[in-house]
Amino acid sequence: MNLYELTATELSKKLASKDCSAVEATKSVFDRIEEVEGKVEAYLAVTKEEALNKAKEVDEKRAKGEALSPIAGVPIGIKDNICTKGVLTTCASKMLYSFVPPYNATVIDKLCSQDMVMTGKLNMDEFAMGSSCENSYFKKTKNPHNLSCVPGGSSGGSAAAVAAGEVFLSLGSDTGGSIRMPASYCGIVGLKPTYGSVSRYGLVAFASSLDQIGPFGRCVEDVAMLYSAICGRDENDATSVICKYPRFTANCTDIRGLRIGLPKEYFGEGVDAEVKKAVTAAVSELEKAGAVVKQISLPSTDNALSAYYIISSAEASSNLARFDGVKYGYRTESFDGLIDMYEKTRSEGFGDEVKRRIMLGTFVLSSGYYDAYYKKAKLFQKRISLEFEEAFKGCDIIITPTAPDTAFKLGEKVSDPVKMYASDICTVTVNIAGLPAISVPCGKDSKGLPVGMQIIGAKFTEQKLFDVASFYEALTGGPQKVVHVPV
Amino acid sequence: MEYEVVVGLEVHAELNTKTKIYCSCKNAFGGEVNTNICPKCTGMPGTLPTLNKQVVKSAVKMGYALNCTINNVCKQDRKSYFYPDLPKAYQISQYDIPLCEHGYVDVLVNGAQKRIGVTRIHIEEDAGKLLHDDSFSGSLVDFNRCGVPLIEIVSEPDMRSSAEAKAYLDTIRSILQYLDISDCKMQEGSIRCDVNVSVMKKGAEHFGTRVEMKNVNGFSGTVRAIEYEAQRQIEALEKGEEIFQETRRWDDVKGKNFILRSKEDAMDYRYFPEPDLGTIVVDEKELKRLKDSIPELPNKKQMRYISEYGLPEFEAGLLVENIEKAHFFEDCVALNICEPKNILNWLLGDVTRILNERNCEISATRLTSKNLTHMIALIDKGIISNTAGKTVLEVIVDADVSPEKVIEEKGLAQISDTSALEAIAQEIIAANQKSIEDYKKGKTNVLGFLVGQCMRASKGQGNPTVLREILLSIIEKN
Amino acid sequence: MNIDIKKVAKLSRLKISEQDIPKFERDMQSIVDMVDKLPDVSDLTLSLDRNDPMVLREDVIGASVKRTDMLKNAPQVEAGCFVVPKVVEE
Repeated sequence: MNLYELTATELSKKLASKDCSAVEATKSVFDRIEEVEGKVEAYLAVTKEEALNKAKEVDEKRAKGEALSPIAGVPIGIKDNICTKGVLTTCASKMLYSFVPPYNATVIDKLCSQDMVMTGKLNMDEFAMGSSCENSYFKKTKNPHNLSCVPGGSSGGSAAAVAAGEVFLSLGSDTGGSIRMPASYCGIVGLKPTYGSVSRYGLVAFASSLDQIGPFGRCVEDVAMLYSAICGRDENDATSVICKYPRFTANCTDIRGLRIGLPKEYFGEGVDAEVKKAVTAAVSELEKAGAVVKQISLPSTDNALSAYYIISSAEASSNLARFDGVKYGYRTESFDGLIDMYEKTRSEGFGDEVKRRIMLGTFVLSSGYYDAYYKKAKLFQKRISLEFEEAFKGCDIIITPTAPDTAFKLGEKVSDPVKMYASDICTVTVNIAGLPAISVPCGKDSKGLPVGMQIIGAKFTEQKLFDVASFYEALTGGPQKVVHVPV
Repeated sequence: MEYEVVVGLEVHAELNTKTKIYCSCKNAFGGEVNTNICPKCTGMPGTLPTLNKQVVKSAVKMGYALNCTINNVCKQDRKSYFYPDLPKAYQISQYDIPLCEHGYVDVLVNGAQKRIGVTRIHIEEDAGKLLHDDSFSGSLVDFNRCGVPLIEIVSEPDMRSSAEAKAYLDTIRSILQYLDISDCKMQEGSIRCDVNVSVMKKGAEHFGTRVEMKNVNGFSGTVRAIEYEAQRQIEALEKGEEIFQETRRWDDVKGKNFILRSKEDAMDYRYFPEPDLGTIVVDEKELKRLKDSIPELPNKKQMRYISEYGLPEFEAGLLVENIEKAHFFEDCVALNICEPKNILNWLLGDVTRILNERNCEISATRLTSKNLTHMIALIDKGIISNTAGKTVLEVIVDADVSPEKVIEEKGLAQISDTSALEAIAQEIIAANQKSIEDYKKGKTNVLGFLVGQCMRASKGQGNPTVLREILLSIIEKN
Repeated sequence: MNIDIKKVAKLSRLKISEQDIPKFERDMQSIVDMVDKLPDVSDLTLSLDRNDPMVLREDVIGASVKRTDMLKNAPQVEAGCFVVPKVVEE
């Protein structure tokens, strides 16, 4: 067995017991990258030299007997919208093709202080806008399960790299499903944490009130380990929440009495029959193990997508206004005056999807339309939150499909934005309500593509999500294996 | 046709906090370009704002000083527009819920008290600066000022002349100084103004169309800008032209304004709640502490000085302008050994002259209220002359010694002994026989000349009042 | 609701070519149509939560950042400043 095939927690244990070195593990990962990256195209930048130096440093520390974090020496990949000091951070956009941040995101500082070995920066939809990773300016990442399919988005590179064994763990960001949906498509585990539990400082903002950084791994325990390493109050992020952040575990062996809510709106027409079948079967397994399943209703779900697109686009239009060719990144070659420079820079630097959302956001905030669109969407956000609050009075967790379908073909939805947006139908409500949710694999469809089950909890109940997800994982054969990529 | 001018002001005052409003950069004027900046105040990708506690406190204090309702649960909003001095392309400000609103301030204009409504006070960040150099084909951007904390104080359209606007601005400025929340340095642009002007026929029920003027720096500039704009509108109306709702730019050098944009081109700022910041909550305890920290304010002080001590409006205004001087004045008055008016004259006269020469405040000298009032009381009693008082002042400014001791050491006591003074007077009259004739012919001003001669002969120690009486009695006997 | 793409593009500082306008118009319209179907929510109001106060920052000066680090990503730099095309001051 190759080292890269281990789970992160298995590697962590081997490193601690000196059964292998961080340098060996890191080399193994880079050998794997060498082997399959040409097919998967998950990375935008590979930082091999720095990674090997860091791995060597960690091995030396361990040799000296220093107390190290569980993630010390574990190779981790980072989505390219998370700022890394001295390392190109492009958001997969032409606009930031040359941007090298002079600062680290808080999560990067935290991971560095715990001796992370960073393997590189991972591909994504431009500025995290998209559900297929096809909106990257630089490359199209493929789904390791089927190279003609998309890995999902926007954190497609983060999901594909973990699934293909090109890294042990990765960080993504989730604004409307951008961690959970690619985790589902790529057959791995992904967590969208409670809003405010992971610092957003240094995450290039898409929609500030919805964005959260979260971990990917090939098993629940890996995800719990990485989440433990990144969560916590940060004084650089005014929206980060002060509360107790324990070290999370994933070894639950008993779910008797667990109350599971199944919202009927998430099992309706828009959801693929095979997906419904797989998720329902998974819920039955949990029921057999002693959980209590209840049918519930979250009536505003059908309208959540509209509210999501208004709020996220409005915030995006404002957050992306700073890209103007003055301070960093792309500037158009020739121009006639300031406004022409602004317009050409922004039109050439942004892709179509980003432009579409900037214009939608500008429109809903503009004079005369604010109340009819933005304000109404904010009211809807409140309604959706209230519905979840009510639902959690009667159940401990809510289970839904993560995505309405499995990975689709590259190019299949690019021409129809509304169809593409519908991919987020099961995930956006969680962001709107600021809740935590985890996606765990629950079988495959007839095409052999993975199906994901979404487990949603009340705010700050990540431990409960890890408990249920790890219980289910143990029930169904344990951690996911590295996907065989035909080369 | 007589017209009335209607003026409303938006004052932007930079706060003197240690750090900027949303990051820990030093809040300082000047410095080499782009040396006082960080990824946060320049809005680099991924960075987030964190609100400075002191900014909220200062703004609440100003709110109390201007009799506002404090919205102690409020939020911030983004105001979007593209301009090179605004690195995020939005300014973090406050839109529908300002920290303070519904206030007023009383100002004195030519002896009359006038109440000016204060619509709102909100907190926001300042923008950077554009530098222009003809030798270079582009414009240069310096972000040092980005994120300097501002409060915007918006008045009601309650002022009816440039004089009222001036009085309002002077009052706002001295209140900011009393609260010690702004440096108020005009030349450094720490207070700036947007001016709204309209005119209407005297007695009209409705205001005329309002024109906004930007780029008004300094208070004398404000007066000129208002007068120019009012005249422009009156002339237009007299010609039968219409006034358009527009924004104009004031050029202080040319003394003119120019159209910047018409109503149709009005900016669409797309305000919406700042999602990177949470709810501002100032708790009741803190509110009370801030409210209790407000001192008696200069406008109130001035009015009290006029009514309680009978000081003239203008001089009372000068006195309260400097909080330390006003406090010193009050200490002197409390000793109750001389007239407040005499204290005022000494403070605004010789004391101010000495302070100006030394470019310092009273606290930097050794002058005490006790010594100053004793010195004044000695003059009042005729023990020393006014001139001798000045000599005493020069000493007690630098040493805490009693005026009596100074008088004794320097031999400054006045001669009030009638026989000694009579001898001098006789001598002077003998030498100036012609002046007695002149006096009797009605040239009474020769008396002053004779008093002066006697003073000189007494080496300044003769009591001029006594001398005058003696001289008169001698003349009459002649 | 119809969207005036040209106006919105101008406000967004984007240049949309004439030939691309119909495509954006169609895309945007379909999104707006979706949004227009939102049911009435006038029974709810938005209010600030006084029980969830933001932690404010203490007024203490932090470490400074080198100017060269702040300028090194800029497309054009001159005399320690960012450079923009000449603008007439507003």
